[in-house]
Amino acid sequence: MKFIVSSSQLLKQLQVLGGVINSSNTLPILDNFLFELNQNELKISASDLETTMSTSIEVESDSEGSVAISARLLLDTLKTFPNQPLTFKTEENNTVEISSSHGKYDMAYFDGNEFPKAVSIATPSKTVIPGEILATAISKTIFAAGNDDLRPVMSGVFFQFSTDSLTFVATDAHKLVKYSRTDVVANDTAEFIMPKKPLNLLKGILGGNESDVTIEYNDANAKFTFDNVVLVCRLIDGKYPNYEAVIPKENPNKLTVERGIFLNSVKRVSIFSSKTTHQIRLKMAGTELNISAEDIDYSNKAEERLVCEYQGDDMQIGFNSRFLTEMLSNLNSNEVLIEMSMPNRAGILTPIDGVEEGEFITMLVMPVMLNS
Amino acid sequence: MERSIVHMDLDTFFVSCERLIDSRLNNKPVLIGGTSDRGVVASCSYEARKYGVHSAMPMRMARQLCPEAIVLRGNSGIYTKYSKLVTDVVKESVPLYEKSSIDEFYIDLTGMDKFFGCHQLASELRSKIIRETGLPISFGLSVNKTVSKIATGEAKPNNELKINFGTEKPFLAPLSVRKIPMVGEKTYNSLCDLGIKRIKTVQEMPINMMARVFGKHGASIWKKANGIDNTPVVKYHERKSISTERTFDKDTTDINKLKSIIVAMTENLIYQLRRGDKLTACVTFKIRYSDFQTYTKQKRISYSSSDHSILPVVMELYESLYQRRLLVRLIGVKFSHLVSGGHQINLFEDNDKILSLYQAMDKMRERFGDRAVIRAAGMDAKSISRWNPFNGEPPPLLPNRRR
Repeated sequence: MKFIVSSSQLLKQLQVLGGVINSSNTLPILDNFLFELNQNELKISASDLETTMSTSIEVESDSEGSVAISARLLLDTLKTFPNQPLTFKTEENNTVEISSSHGKYDMAYFDGNEFPKAVSIATPSKTVIPGEILATAISKTIFAAGNDDLRPVMSGVFFQFSTDSLTFVATDAHKLVKYSRTDVVANDTAEFIMPKKPLNLLKGILGGNESDVTIEYNDANAKFTFDNVVLVCRLIDGKYPNYEAVIPKENPNKLTVERGIFLNSVKRVSIFSSKTTHQIRLKMAGTELNISAEDIDYSNKAEERLVCEYQGDDMQIGFNSRFLTEMLSNLNSNEVLIEMSMPNRAGILTPIDGVEEGEFITMLVMPVMLNS
Repeated sequence: MERSIVHMDLDTFFVSCERLIDSRLNNKPVLIGGTSDRGVVASCSYEARKYGVHSAMPMRMARQLCPEAIVLRGNSGIYTKYSKLVTDVVKESVPLYEKSSIDEFYIDLTGMDKFFGCHQLASELRSKIIRETGLPISFGLSVNKTVSKIATGEAKPNNELKINFGTEKPFLAPLSVRKIPMVGEKTYNSLCDLGIKRIKTVQEMPINMMARVFGKHGASIWKKANGIDNTPVVKYHERKSISTERTFDKDTTDINKLKSIIVAMTENLIYQLRRGDKLTACVTFKIRYSDFQTYTKQKRISYSSSDHSILPVVMELYESLYQRRLLVRLIGVKFSHLVSGGHQINLFEDNDKILSLYQAMDKMRERFGDRAVIRAAGMDAKSISRWNPFNGEPPPLLPNRRR
């Protein structure tokens, strides 16, 4: 097996695939990239057993074969090269020899057959989504997903496809984001929970990509195909909590405020809040929004006043400022609407402007109990 | 700079309080503490001490030693009230004090020599306390907390003692090592085994030798024996944990009784958390069997102060810890990793009904007392302590105090 490839082109592909590989693996072969050569087409794959991603690039070759090469060695070497053609050649003694204009490098390889095969999806359903929309949906929701190993369903993003809309939901039980599109639809209804890792990978590659993504899925796995990339991953097994039921329907207290100003105030005030609870207090009365925080242990205290539009009864509500900043920075509207009912019920955050036709974002944040 | 630290200690505090209320107790041997078989002496009058009674001694033994003693159960409410009276006098008289227990104060008078004379000031404060509250009090004055505390012990009853700067070592030298704070029965026994009876011997030993025998502990005992103690007088100690425990009058295997007490203890501690605006992230359960084998188990949880997230954890710890089918002597619950803040409401596990219920219950307890509303499951447990741990006051009763 022998092929010639451009070093920078190869590095670009490998860096994308490198995100799949875990830092420590139980199976040593998972520390490798799988190279599958078929004449001019080189297919490179990486896997952590849950997620398998592969891309293909064009190379100069007339042979065939498959080998697995150490990912770390390859990435470290390629990073140091200026762009140039590299020749890969397998030798008798189970090593690959790479020749550059600088010299020669030998590294051991595993037989490609030992590399775990990606699962094939039996009887899949299929939906096509523009790459940009999928990337936006992921980046709008993924930050709200949880990290709790004890509740795996909440550590992923819930995909809800139907014939009149696509909905993406993430929650960690303290905050929740629901992102829907009515301008893109699926052929039939389907629901599945995607783990975070492959979504983060997709988000990275899809940013600014205009091509369409084909999603094939069944009960256990999902496969994303676009351009020269194929990503197959196992889905999170379990039932997603009934999130619709916990979104309060009647919220008589409505606060409209400029997003940028509000975000900056929250960030500033939260510096003075407790370092473990990050708790801040919002007080609404008339057209004034009062934001305050204090850290009793260190006698730190801050208070800011903002002009806002407010309809409803005067009220006080406490929030974890980190949730608020995450949500506010994830939006790009000029103004946001916060709807509330009681100090112990959820606050609902929606952007007033800056959304596309057919795009809906609902963010929900649970308050912290205040001692009044 | 040379410091001036005063240690003040109310003599036989609980007994003195009882005598203020009932003068018939004067000049008679009085014992205060648990009256059951398991009870220990919390405080005893000097008349009773003549018979060999000391605090922390089992009540049974004390009664045998001194059959004519008057035994009282004690009332922590009254003691807290008198303790507060004394605190008020101290507070208005000195710049910096630390209330280290219900009847003890450390007062930092450093720099006051220029104006009043530290000893004079302390003496005046002492007579003021005696005059205004009628309670006898003793004090020791020296350069640091340890020496002052030992000096108070030497001054008692109802007296004062000043250790001049530079004479700490000679003052300590002839005393028994038992007088050093933190030398308990165990350490005392090991010291005796080594032939160390007087503080003088410790003073003459190299610090390394003490450190080799007793570890870190040994080095600090050596320092204290040499009159070295740099700890400052701190007005308020932030609580790092809150806990409650209960020793049964009779060892038990009655699971319903155990559970009932666990529920009552946990419920009360959680209420204290909410009252102090605190959250806990670590729950510990402790069990001691009749053979004195003690087991503890703890679990980290996410920051919380709500009954429905903490109570199941305590129960789970109890279930996993109570494995030996033996009689149980003591159970205890502790919350640590405390932070100030409100409960972060959970979308799926909490609902506004239950949160409003907690608020309403807390309001009722605030107004009508801790037992105004409690879980029926915990109703039988009547004698668990229910004090507010977050108001900067030391716990009201210290049943395990040293002599």
